[in-house]
Amino acid sequence: MRLIVGCFVFILLIGSNLQSQIIDNFVEDESMLYAHTKQVNQFFRRFNGEENRLGVRSSINDSLYQNNNFRKEFINFLFDEESTIITPNLKSEFINDVIDNQSLLDFHGGNWFAQVKALFLYKGEEKTCTIFLKLQEEEVGSKWVLTSVLFEPFTSYFINTDSLSESQRRFLHPLSHELDFMNLFKVFKEDQILEQYAEQGYTPDYLTLFIYEFRKSNLKFKTILDVKFHLFQINNWYFELSEYNRKSYNSGWLISNLLKITEEDEVVLKKFIYQK
Amino acid sequence: MSKFKILLIVVFCAAITANTFSQSQISPERKRAIDSLALEKIRDLSKYISIIGNKETPFSEANRVIERTQELFFDDAQIGVSSLYRTEIEYFGVRTYLEHLMALNYDRINISWYNIQYISDLELQPDGRYVGVITIYQRFEGESDDGLSYKDTTKKDITVYVERKQTQIGGKLIGFWDVLLGDIRVTETMQ
Repeated sequence: MRLIVGCFVFILLIGSNLQSQIIDNFVEDESMLYAHTKQVNQFFRRFNGEENRLGVRSSINDSLYQNNNFRKEFINFLFDEESTIITPNLKSEFINDVIDNQSLLDFHGGNWFAQVKALFLYKGEEKTCTIFLKLQEEEVGSKWVLTSVLFEPFTSYFINTDSLSESQRRFLHPLSHELDFMNLFKVFKEDQILEQYAEQGYTPDYLTLFIYEFRKSNLKFKTILDVKFHLFQINNWYFELSEYNRKSYNSGWLISNLLKITEEDEVVLKKFIYQK
Repeated sequence: MSKFKILLIVVFCAAITANTFSQSQISPERKRAIDSLALEKIRDLSKYISIIGNKETPFSEANRVIERTQELFFDDAQIGVSSLYRTEIEYFGVRTYLEHLMALNYDRINISWYNIQYISDLELQPDGRYVGVITIYQRFEGESDDGLSYKDTTKKDITVYVERKQTQIGGKLIGFWDVLLGDIRVTETMQ
């Protein structure tokens, strides 16, 4: 009897819970939506001080257009405030540098690119792939183009020949041609590290492999997982732009990483991002 | 597009247009005029979505409005949807998306729009058309008779294509800007 009463109370509790189940994901505060950096386009405009507080593009004649004080205030809000990797000092140095040098971002200025993480089915198995794109200027207009891909099934397949010991290294001797390159027979034996026979500076072209595998129907696109941008347009600085979706005034497209760099660092950093 | 609308756009553009065919750059004044045209389409879309989602709209009327909505878009436009619980983007054709909206399992649905829109710059693409993105926010409220209530706010980033076209009126060639909608990215906003 107690069990029956217990079950009855339990059902009643579940029932009353269902009656009042409300999933409320409203954003009541519209000012929060105004504050969000809603598009990358808006990030550029805010960074340059080219729009008013309501997101309307300012006229060139407007006193606030690219105004230094206005920009300083705006750029300060364009950082991910929850980031622990951007120190207040670094942020402040960056903002002062941008304002002092009146540095602006230019959509068509080059030296920035996109990194897209996407999900593919590769030979029936789900695999993530990183695609790099850049904005290419055309005779008429511009377009985003693929520049490179990082795909684990490809990258793990190639061997960095610098890591080979002297005893492991193989080559085609300089008089191979006199024997009609008959030693290629040994090169193309199974399990050979073919990369070491390639010319100096050879790097695998993963984009070509990617296109080839797609054409062979081994790769099928599923979805986009994440998008971010790498910007090298401000002299001596690099920053990363990521999108945040949170109930806060600090949301949308924001600076997620910031580094002070030299010209040499820029080359190294780009290699690091592209994992070359 | 109805003849009336074409006429309206022609008159509107003719009033502000002079010597536009050779221009590849859009002046700020013309950009504002095109933005208004694009916003008019977005308002139409918002209105149609509210009607289609409304449970009191008769089935035949909702279907008629779906047809009208499709006329706002390019044929291959896709709607990519992600939610707070599923970051994977699902892709739908416009018709499929609207049919899903019509078939939602609530007894009462109310769709309204925040008084906020963000309009990007217009960028020239290699085919000579201009492309822009307009961001708007939607409020959705769904309620079932059993007391289940669901509310959310979604961000909609809508592609807008702008093309210079010509039409003949009274033997004269008149230029006008035509606006069509393209892909839409729908994101549920985080709470």
